[in-house]
Amino acid sequence: MQAFDQIQELWQKHEVEVKFSADEMLQQAKKEVNGLKFKSALNIIGMAISFIAIAALWIFFHFDSWTTHLGISITVITIGVYTLILYRDYRLIAQTDFTAHPQEYLNNLKTYQLNRYKLYNSLYWFYTIALSTGTIFYFIEILSYLSTIQKVIAIGFTFIWILFCSTILRKAVMEREKERISLLIEKFERISNQITAP
Amino acid sequence: MEQKDKLFKEIFDSNSKKIFHLCYGYTGDTDAANDLLQETFLKVWQNLDKFRNKSLISTWIYRIAVNTCLTYLRSEKRQAKDELTENIIENKIEEFSEKNEQVALLYQCISKLEENDRLIITMVLDELPYHEIADISGISEGNLRVKIHRIKQKLTELYNQYASV
Repeated sequence: MQAFDQIQELWQKHEVEVKFSADEMLQQAKKEVNGLKFKSALNIIGMAISFIAIAALWIFFHFDSWTTHLGISITVITIGVYTLILYRDYRLIAQTDFTAHPQEYLNNLKTYQLNRYKLYNSLYWFYTIALSTGTIFYFIEILSYLSTIQKVIAIGFTFIWILFCSTILRKAVMEREKERISLLIEKFERISNQITAP
Repeated sequence: MEQKDKLFKEIFDSNSKKIFHLCYGYTGDTDAANDLLQETFLKVWQNLDKFRNKSLISTWIYRIAVNTCLTYLRSEKRQAKDELTENIIENKIEEFSEKNEQVALLYQCISKLEENDRLIITMVLDELPYHEIADISGISEGNLRVKIHRIKQKLTELYNQYASV
């Protein structure tokens, strides 16, 4: 038979080891937020590269028809506007340090989530329609240089690609991002709520 | 900011072991205890400026840790995990039972207690003064003494019962 004193002695003799230091702890906490920031930045970089690559068509190729210039202009403007929207959202999460201003960060994170939702829904359809219009104008001249089979492949591939991005890919990205941001919000909300009412 | 970082490091170094022990006693799982420890000290860091020396800093941190532990497992997202807590404890026990069977048994017995009782007894085991435990858990000292007496009895009973099996 053991008495409580012996149990207490047993507890106190059991050495526990904290696996991380104060620095590591803060770094780990910041890592999750930085992951979101990094993904958002990658998104912007990808869009910026597309912008440059499409605009570069004017430098490296000569186009005769005004429709091609109009098509490239619509595409470049659309990508540019979308990149700016992405950048505006990126600033929301990049500007505030969550360890210094938790409430402000939490509010920004909620706005970011809402903006991303809009981006993948209503704004996405404007984006798709604008890109498709740009591609149609671009194809008017370009397709005239191609054989029938090449025309079919070019149109078919573009159509399937737009369809894939608008359905399967869009939904998957939207779900994953929603879950990720929701988890972050949940975590920060738990932290904020508990501290105000300990 | 450097001053704050320095102060935080001092606070972390002097309190982290006790808080980890509390979290470990509550969950019986090293990973979960580490998560809780991290969350607790994140709150400490964020709210260091708001600490007004009305109570001991260790009491303040304990209070945060207790709330963190209670909310962590009650959180809807962790319901599934919560149900697994006992299983986790059982599994962990198997892992280190060869090294220290008695300690393993103690953690198993603590896991059989009610959530709040688990936290209170952990603080008792760490010899926190009763008035501090009362302050942390928000129970009057009189009621707490009765509660502690009952939890001590229950834990001892459980321990002896499992030890004799």
